[in-house]
Amino acid sequence: MTEHLNPVQELWQSQPLEGVKMPLEEIRRRANKFEHRIRGRNRRETVGCIIVSLLFVYFLFDTQSILFRISYGLFIAAMIWVAVQLQRKGSIKSLPDSLGASSSLHFFRAELERQRDAIRNVWPWYLAPLVPGYLMLTIAYAFTFPHFARLMGVVAFDAAMVAVFVVIWKLNQRAAGCLQRMIDELNAAE
Amino acid sequence: MSAIATKPAAGSSQDELYRDAAANHGAALERLARAYEADSDLRRDLLQEIHIALWRSFQNFDGRCSLRTWVYRVSHNVAASHVLRQRRTRVQTLIGLEELENLADANSGEEAIDRSHMLNRLLELIHQLKPLDRNVILAYLEGMDAASIAEIAGLSPGNTATKIHRIKNLLARRFHQRNDHD
Repeated sequence: MTEHLNPVQELWQSQPLEGVKMPLEEIRRRANKFEHRIRGRNRRETVGCIIVSLLFVYFLFDTQSILFRISYGLFIAAMIWVAVQLQRKGSIKSLPDSLGASSSLHFFRAELERQRDAIRNVWPWYLAPLVPGYLMLTIAYAFTFPHFARLMGVVAFDAAMVAVFVVIWKLNQRAAGCLQRMIDELNAAE
Repeated sequence: MSAIATKPAAGSSQDELYRDAAANHGAALERLARAYEADSDLRRDLLQEIHIALWRSFQNFDGRCSLRTWVYRVSHNVAASHVLRQRRTRVQTLIGLEELENLADANSGEEAIDRSHMLNRLLELIHQLKPLDRNVILAYLEGMDAASIAEIAGLSPGNTATKIHRIKNLLARRFHQRNDHD
């Protein structure tokens, strides 16, 4: 460390501070609370998937139509897939314990890459699994209610869903591109 | 802050390491939190998050770097994550040292300004920077040498030297200070 401080360094280091101190007991308590909160959030996501799956299980047993049953079965499989992915990827994570072993550049780049990949992969592991269920539901409606007006309603609903998916995908691609530019800047700085 | 970055004795417990870090670097951590968060409530939360992350991180401290380097890496990494999280809710665009160097100083022409005004201007300047450049300027302001800054930030010696040179010029221009290190 340099011994001689210039006036701006001296100004910075002599600024008045609150002198915040955290006793160890308080740190342990808050660390536990924080871990509980993270686990609670992850549990809530899984419980959300289970509730939606149970709803489809109810629909599945409530209908006599084999096509609707297949459609609800596909939705249940999709929800289980999403729940497993949520558990595996840990959508909400606490900071890694190896924080001190990574330089700022490596850590920051890894965080940006994690966010970029999460955004890019939202389609295959969050949205795409729902598509077969939707398609099957459309087919089931087409066969069960072969009235033109009703069918057009279903097609319009599906078209709206496709439009929503495309908009989400476009927005995610833009956000991922923005993160990629930040990663490129860091690579250039290394 | 201790002048010499010492490696702790082998076998130091997580609690002992944390006590040591908090005693020697507590003030620097508070300054770091000020540099990363302007809002006082969020700043208090950030400082607590840094202390908790620091305590947790000492489970994995293997003594391969100095305690000071470890403390700065952990605290900067937590603060950088905080900046990334806040990015989603704030519209402010962060810029690099290069862009900041080319920006006109809104306060230029002022002669006699008091220390608290100067400190606020310094904080405003730091708050505009991207996390990596903020990391470098803070380490510089804490009086670290180029080698320590490079080790913490993960930059090459050449890039670190360039950034420090830019910081010195920037501070000299903005605070009418003679740049006697070049």
